[in-house]
Amino acid sequence: MDFDLTDEQRCRYDRVSAEVTQQLGGPGMLSELPFTRTQWKSAAQIGLTGLCMPAEYGGGGLGALDTALCLEAFGRACPNTGLVFAVAAHLLACAVPIRDFADGDVRGELLSGLASGELIAANAMTEDEAGSDLSRLGVTAEQEPGGYVLHGDKSFASNAPAADVFVTYATTAPAAGFLGITAFAVPRTAPGVATGEPFEKMGLGGCPAGRVLFRHCRVPETHRLGREGQGTAVFQHSMAWERGCLFAVYLGLMERQLQQCVERARTRRQFGRAIGEFQAVSHRIAGMKQRLESARLLLYRACWLLDGGRDHNEAVALSKIAVSEAAVANSLDAIQVFGGDGYLRSAGIEQHLRDSVPGGIFSGATDIQREVVARGLGL
Amino acid sequence: MPDQEMTKRIAEYIREKFLDGDPQGELQDTSPLLEWGVLNSLRVAQLIGFLREEFGVVVPPREIHADNLRDVRSITAMVARLA
Repeated sequence: MDFDLTDEQRCRYDRVSAEVTQQLGGPGMLSELPFTRTQWKSAAQIGLTGLCMPAEYGGGGLGALDTALCLEAFGRACPNTGLVFAVAAHLLACAVPIRDFADGDVRGELLSGLASGELIAANAMTEDEAGSDLSRLGVTAEQEPGGYVLHGDKSFASNAPAADVFVTYATTAPAAGFLGITAFAVPRTAPGVATGEPFEKMGLGGCPAGRVLFRHCRVPETHRLGREGQGTAVFQHSMAWERGCLFAVYLGLMERQLQQCVERARTRRQFGRAIGEFQAVSHRIAGMKQRLESARLLLYRACWLLDGGRDHNEAVALSKIAVSEAAVANSLDAIQVFGGDGYLRSAGIEQHLRDSVPGGIFSGATDIQREVVARGLGL
Repeated sequence: MPDQEMTKRIAEYIREKFLDGDPQGELQDTSPLLEWGVLNSLRVAQLIGFLREEFGVVVPPREIHADNLRDVRSITAMVARLA
């Protein structure tokens, strides 16, 4: 067992960190406005939009653990967690299933565009009446010669207002339950696709999210991902990558937050001494460090299992629970360390909490992850 | 491992884990697991884990579809093909 990063991993982490700091790390990035195409292009130039895409299509060809390390560096150096989340969702929930399930020319065309940053992708799975339960999708896809006709509404699709392509899931065989779902990559230019207004959200403001509407939308068969009825497997595969790798974004956030808290505890003086000399403060920060490091180990292990093609369901679930809960707990502690300043939007500390809360909801709610763990224990 | 032995072990696993031991002895090699609702998405993930642990077979995501999960016989055929 070796817990050290390799020299190559360390170099890559440092390079991403330095380039993101230079291009996407300025104070202006504290904005909670949706990302711009210019910012997206900057992320693409650093290689972040194609980390785990095949090198032949302009990607980095990285595995899950190396992808997670880069996303951690991105999350640490860029204060706009919404942008970091948007890039990670594009990569893991959309590009990964296209990489592993699309065929022919469509695969190459989409992967090249997604890796280069020319195309932005959104994952449109959730519906108003279907969040955790994948077997009850209201969006339907009826087969016609040469393709399918999609009809229905999706919701909570991250990146949707800005996206060029939607990875979506529709019912093709209602009686077959979870094996009656089929996955598609739908270009925004397909007739019958529309998006709603961006949602007003609690956090992750840099990532616009909204509804995706399919109105008798014709999609060629070439844009189906995997076989008909294989949509649940496609989705679960992409979610294993998202639950595993995407949460490294929060490791980066917590690392940055921890540094801010240490600096605050050293420089803020009360009763004639630095507040870090009070055990109540220093132990709170020690607790933040302990939660961060515990969560990091679980995440690295989950990604390592994913890379090895080994059983990863329980490890990924444990990792997601640990990281998402640590991010919320550490963000509350950071506000406490900063006191009144932590409560002000101008300091950028309370934003960590608002950006962290959704981590317990998206990519499979914490309650579902605990269910995965419980089933694995035979309960 | 002979297919017969593989079939027996897969059926035992399904009986024990998903059918409370199958006290009525209803599960046959051709029982429609999907139509009966025996397999859902969480259980498929558990079953895939079992196949890897028991037979050392990694089932790629592309292989997870109705034709390969229809019944115990289909699952056995998939494992034999991937082994």
